Amino acid sequence: MSSKAVIKQSRKPVPLGLMIPVILLVVLTSLPLLYIVLRAQEAGLSHAMSLIFRTRVYQLLLNTLQLLVTVTLISTLIGVASAWLIERTDLPKRKLFNALVTLPFAVPAFISSYSWISIFPQLEGFSGAVLVLTLCNYPLVHLPVAAALRGMDPALEETSRSLGFSRAQTFFKVLLPQLRPALLGGAILISLHMLAEFGALAFLNYETFTTAIFDQYYVAFDGASAAMLTLVLLILCVGVIGLEILLRGKHNHATQRQGSPGAQDQVILGWTKPWLLLAILLLITLAAGVPLAVIGYWLLSGSSSAFHGQEVLSALTTTLSFGFSGALLATVFALPLVFLAVRFQGRLANLAERLPYFIHSLPGLVIGLTLVFFAIRYAFFFYQTTPLLLIGYAMLFLPMAQSSIRATLMQIPPQLEEMARSLGKSAWRVFIRITLPLMAPGLGAGLALVFLQIMKELTATLLLRPTGIDTLATKVWEHTSNAEYGASAPYAALLILISGLPVYLLTMRSFTRNTA
Amino acid sequence: MSRKFKLSTLALSSLLAFSPLSAYADLTIYNGQHKTATLALIDAFTEKTNIKVESRQGSSNELAHQIVEEGARSPADIIYTEESTPLIMLANKDLLAEIDEPALNNIPAEYRDADGYWVGLLARSRVMVYNKDLINADELPTSVYDLSDDKWKDKFAFIKTSGAFQKQLSAMIKIDGREKAKSWLESLKKNGKEYRNNKAAMDAVERGDIPFALINNYYWDNLAREQGADKLNSALYFMGTHDLGDLVTVSGAAILKSSKHQDEAQQFIAFATSEAGQQILTDNSAQYPLNPNVDTHGLKPFSELTPPNDTLDLGEYSDGKAAIELLQEVGLL
Repeated sequence: MSSKAVIKQSRKPVPLGLMIPVILLVVLTSLPLLYIVLRAQEAGLSHAMSLIFRTRVYQLLLNTLQLLVTVTLISTLIGVASAWLIERTDLPKRKLFNALVTLPFAVPAFISSYSWISIFPQLEGFSGAVLVLTLCNYPLVHLPVAAALRGMDPALEETSRSLGFSRAQTFFKVLLPQLRPALLGGAILISLHMLAEFGALAFLNYETFTTAIFDQYYVAFDGASAAMLTLVLLILCVGVIGLEILLRGKHNHATQRQGSPGAQDQVILGWTKPWLLLAILLLITLAAGVPLAVIGYWLLSGSSSAFHGQEVLSALTTTLSFGFSGALLATVFALPLVFLAVRFQGRLANLAERLPYFIHSLPGLVIGLTLVFFAIRYAFFFYQTTPLLLIGYAMLFLPMAQSSIRATLMQIPPQLEEMARSLGKSAWRVFIRITLPLMAPGLGAGLALVFLQIMKELTATLLLRPTGIDTLATKVWEHTSNAEYGASAPYAALLILISGLPVYLLTMRSFTRNTA
Repeated sequence: MSRKFKLSTLALSSLLAFSPLSAYADLTIYNGQHKTATLALIDAFTEKTNIKVESRQGSSNELAHQIVEEGARSPADIIYTEESTPLIMLANKDLLAEIDEPALNNIPAEYRDADGYWVGLLARSRVMVYNKDLINADELPTSVYDLSDDKWKDKFAFIKTSGAFQKQLSAMIKIDGREKAKSWLESLKKNGKEYRNNKAAMDAVERGDIPFALINNYYWDNLAREQGADKLNSALYFMGTHDLGDLVTVSGAAILKSSKHQDEAQQFIAFATSEAGQQILTDNSAQYPLNPNVDTHGLKPFSELTPPNDTLDLGEYSDGKAAIELLQEVGLL
């Protein structure tokens, strides 16, 4: 953060009521760091150091970075290529392809890898992990890039072409710089996913920091060693976020005039057209067709066990109720933070804005380990209870609630509130009677988004769940770990149906509106 | 709208207030053993006694160390683990209660704690499972130490996170010393292929992805029960020379000193060691029952196993700590 003098705009003092959530947020954010410090203290500094500086950590670092860079690069290439092909060329059925290409969004990565592994067990290690995770993640680049391409001002390209630059030159000199924010945003998300991914990599037998931390916990429950690996992972997460801030630099440098779709010139593909069409079809088949078909196959064959209706139902209701209450908690927590960030200036507002993104970048496993650690020591009545799990969910998915709420609050002029205040109403009343109702759509979208993320969550759930409680995700994990592919199919299919498809529809909608 | 808001706040607070602090049960078992067999045992026990049991599934080491962290307030009444290692660790930390007579007498003395703090329920043997199309039994190594030879590079699978594998390592440290164990482990890291769990390695051998794997007997025995031994591409291989590769390990259970349901917990252990309980366990897991009066339905008879000598009690190495440290030192963990 820069230390520029804050421009004095409406420097209202922040009311105490808004301070409390921010303080709470700061406390929650510092917990993972505290966890590492306390564990290191338990182990003694020299032992802690020896746990960090060893060959194993170097090997994991290599593994993790190798995967992160490769998957991010290939996903970005595929995402940009597919977006450009569908948006800017004369390929037929643009709308249909746009929908199909982003279909992998509907399948959580660990379910996708289970489907691949169950038919191609040899698909493991680095190459398998790259293949499966690339196919899961490229939509994160495709969607924003496609939206940016649609929202671009065609005048720039026309000017470039009329000055005699070739199509390729125009692409690199004019298009790509304009795509940078969208592309970067997607790439950063993918990088963070690679740092946090556990389930998929466990099936694919590829070790990264997150799987190694899990192993430490699983085998040795060696608090110190797991914590030291967590420290390195944390540094990586911060590094990725820092990289984004660096690369983002100045904001968009192009005027965002709304070019209506079709206003842009279309590239007429010649002899390459059938080949490119084939490439797109192949991508869709591999990325969405295979996982969906395989889950369908296991669902129908269900060889490894009979259908346990009762168990499936209870996992389903648990998942739904966790999702709902966690989303509610995250939204209630996000409200004051967003309000502070939008309506006030200064350091606190900045914290409220930024910190949740830091927590969100941490793997669920780290949040899980942290909360278990503190609950056992300082809040035993919370240990292995649903509320603690919900707090974990709220921490992990706060930014999703925030961004949805923020968008609606930005559109409500503060003058409305000020006018109501001048009529002698209390701030709280104004908020309840005027601001909140106007924010309803944003609240709804935020709720839905967090709800759907919670359904897919695996590692924090494994660590924090109450005894004897299973969610759809933990059931898939349990059965697939024992290679009971048929038994996990009903849970996986339900997970795709109730979390994947809605997520998919939500993301499609938010990106297909013509705003970059 | 504001009514909606009030409603949702109300809903939220009630959710947080009324969400169960944990699922209600008379007994809580931390279960590191295979879920199917444990659940079958629990169901039979509840049917017999009307005592409701809830189990928390995890890895044995993880659950045992969790109990250490939880201390006197641990929600667990009983811990049931894949290996005796974590139980010995808990006994050393004085966290276990003594098990009563009837249960102890069901199990031969060598398979339970001398002071009665834990009792073995099942035994399992380390084995090599090999793919018959890829390798002949007579070509297989006659000692685990042979695996240090580079000719076995990429020919075999091992599972570093497996409790039984770690027990094998502990036994090796006890019998042949730390240095020899360390160089063996280094050669394994170099030559072997790591798999995430026994089941995955078993399936890889059966498919022919890899010639053989170091696992526990029951993974193959279970598959043989399901599909018929003659239909499998894989078979079990015992060295039969009292080698460390044929190590027999004990899976057992213990009652926590901090448990507020001592009586029910004792009843559960008594049932688990009884003929009825043991039959359920062996039928559902293909592990060896430790109660001598139980039929094992076609497992290789327990009496014919040739485990290495002096490995039932590993003394100072029985809490598994040295093995974990070695794994970390070599860079496998």
